[in-house]
Amino acid sequence: MKIENTKAQMRKGVLEFCILSVLKDNDAYVAEILSTLKDAKLLVVEGTIYPLLTRLKNAGLLNYRWEESTSGPPRKYYGLTETGKLFLKELNTTWSELHHAVTIVTSQKTTKK
Amino acid sequence: MNKTVNINLAGIFFHIDEDAYLKLQRYLEAIKRSFTDSQGRSEIIADIEARISELFNERVQNNKQVIRIKEVDEVISIMGQPEDYLVDDEIFEDEPQPSYKRKTVPSKKLFRDTDNSYVGGVSSGLAHYFGIDAIWIRLAWILLIFGAGTGILLYILLWVLVPEAKTTAEKIMMTGEPVNISNIEKKIKDGFENVTDVAKNVTDSVGAAAKNVSDSVSNAAKNVDFQKQGNKIKSSSKTFFDTLGEIIMFFFKLFAKFIGVILIIVGAITLIALIVTLFSLGIVDFIHIPGLDLVDIVNAGNTPVWLVSLFVLFTVGIPFFFVFYLGLKILINNLKSIGNIAKFSLLGLWLIAMIGLVIIGIRQASEHTFDERIITKQELNITANDTLKIKMAENDLYISSHRRSNSFKVANNENGEKTIYRSDIRIIVKSTTDSLAKIGIEKSADGRNYEKAIERAKNINYNYSFSGHVLLLDSYLTTPSENKFSDQEIVIILYLPEGSVANFSNNTKSFLNYRTYNGNLVSSGDANHYLQITENGIKCLDCPIEEEENFKVNIDVHDDESSLKINSKGLEIKDDDVNIKINGEELSGKDDAIEVKIDSNGINIKSKDN
Repeated sequence: MKIENTKAQMRKGVLEFCILSVLKDNDAYVAEILSTLKDAKLLVVEGTIYPLLTRLKNAGLLNYRWEESTSGPPRKYYGLTETGKLFLKELNTTWSELHHAVTIVTSQKTTKK
Repeated sequence: MNKTVNINLAGIFFHIDEDAYLKLQRYLEAIKRSFTDSQGRSEIIADIEARISELFNERVQNNKQVIRIKEVDEVISIMGQPEDYLVDDEIFEDEPQPSYKRKTVPSKKLFRDTDNSYVGGVSSGLAHYFGIDAIWIRLAWILLIFGAGTGILLYILLWVLVPEAKTTAEKIMMTGEPVNISNIEKKIKDGFENVTDVAKNVTDSVGAAAKNVSDSVSNAAKNVDFQKQGNKIKSSSKTFFDTLGEIIMFFFKLFAKFIGVILIIVGAITLIALIVTLFSLGIVDFIHIPGLDLVDIVNAGNTPVWLVSLFVLFTVGIPFFFVFYLGLKILINNLKSIGNIAKFSLLGLWLIAMIGLVIIGIRQASEHTFDERIITKQELNITANDTLKIKMAENDLYISSHRRSNSFKVANNENGEKTIYRSDIRIIVKSTTDSLAKIGIEKSADGRNYEKAIERAKNINYNYSFSGHVLLLDSYLTTPSENKFSDQEIVIILYLPEGSVANFSNNTKSFLNYRTYNGNLVSSGDANHYLQITENGIKCLDCPIEEEENFKVNIDVHDDESSLKINSKGLEIKDDDVNIKINGEELSGKDDAIEVKIDSNGINIKSKDN
């Protein structure tokens, strides 16, 4: 079992949730989403995000609009749909539960040490 | 010094070094292969290209700067290796597919290997597919050719059906190696041995396909074909069979197109005819053009005509639409499919229309389920010794030419109201022992139920007049048009006292029955005669007594010496010596000895002895 695979899987498991969270308050285009995720060290390479965005869009959680750019090709601005907002809400609850659970489990370990 | 290529990436123009270009191209091709169409491949690729374009844009200060291999490497490291795109899928797939297996056992596809071919590349393609040397396949073909020529047929079939491996990716698939970046790179590098040629190819293909970036990049990779040098014999045989193949394919295609054209014509004409007919019918129904509302009157079920038209249009039109579509598809290879939703909704519409028509049909039929009649009787002042003349009356508005007929006609009556005319009238004659004659008028009509049928029967107008021993019968019945065509009929029953005489005028002929039967004494053959009603039938008073024109008995028996004849001339018996004759002129008998003869001269008896 490779440590890299497990790491990547862990990261990617929450990636969907994070993308939706980035778009929670305002629309953003791919480079903006990418820079947020990269700053948070959630993403190493950019390629991963494109299939994800397409999947989320096809699932009806995201929609997008085109905006002209002064420096470069037109940009796709992604935003949450109503279903996307509900989806995010549920993921938020799941995440806080998970976070809580993980904290309990990991902190127990450290006290035993 | 380095050669550069111009590319259009997501609508932005770049100069790029040739080696950098090739690297980028392989990279995009590899990414493309890691997605399937169902994942929205083209959209993902477009997004990725847009991002790469953006990243390049950040790296060039002015439009004279060239993208070098360093920039491409940077971008690839930012974007990630094709493997990074792939892993994503297996985690997020809703139903994890056993795609690991597919990776380890790459799927082989059957292509024709035209690079190693003698005829059409079928053999070498099959050889790749089965993983054996092509020579064995070729030997098998030769054996099969001797086996009643099935080999030739099968070969041609495979030649037509199996696609040629044209692109690098297809050539890799043909050999069964997994299509990944390293294999594509390897294969492409193989093909790049002859650098000058290929460079030309690349620039050509890029130039031609510069409109669409994503396409041009992938196409360029596909079009980079590695031509292997074949020996002379091979190339000559190949060109000959290639030409032959092209000719055969040309005729196949021509034939297919011909069928396609026929299908289109049939489909289109039927559709147009149907739409025009039904549309005009629907319009007529809607705005009520006078004179054309026959349809409305036939329509006993009161179903809206436009609805029927619509249903007919769908039930007949939809199959023909598919015929039309099929023809179009044969004619135009890359015709866009109308889509499953459209197909199934058309099918659904067709079914609904069919069911609708059946329901309308049942409703229409149910309008005729009840057949009811009402009878009115009236006495006529005809006694046993009187003679009654029966005639049919004419009407200017409805000229039925005094013939019975069960067809309907719609016309306006004297008051300008729309009226149905019909001459379905029958005359039945019965004898009665009552002293006075009677006439019974029986009106009958169909309807959905008893009440409706009775009501329609009541709405039938039928008139006759009786004065001075003459009964004048209308030759038609009328009914207001709202009663529709519901098989309205009139039966006139004449009860005539025994001993009275009836005379049916010539124009009643077609209204009388063809035959007499128990309860009907007069047939159409009896018209024009004076008929006396008797206890058990009729007696014709003025019919000529039939004379027997020919003597019915005609006997002629004879042999060499004797004969017997009985015919219209009389009786004659002959034997050897005896002769007896009875006819209009004489009565005679002869014998050897005596002859007796009675004729206009008297009686004559002769004896030879005397």
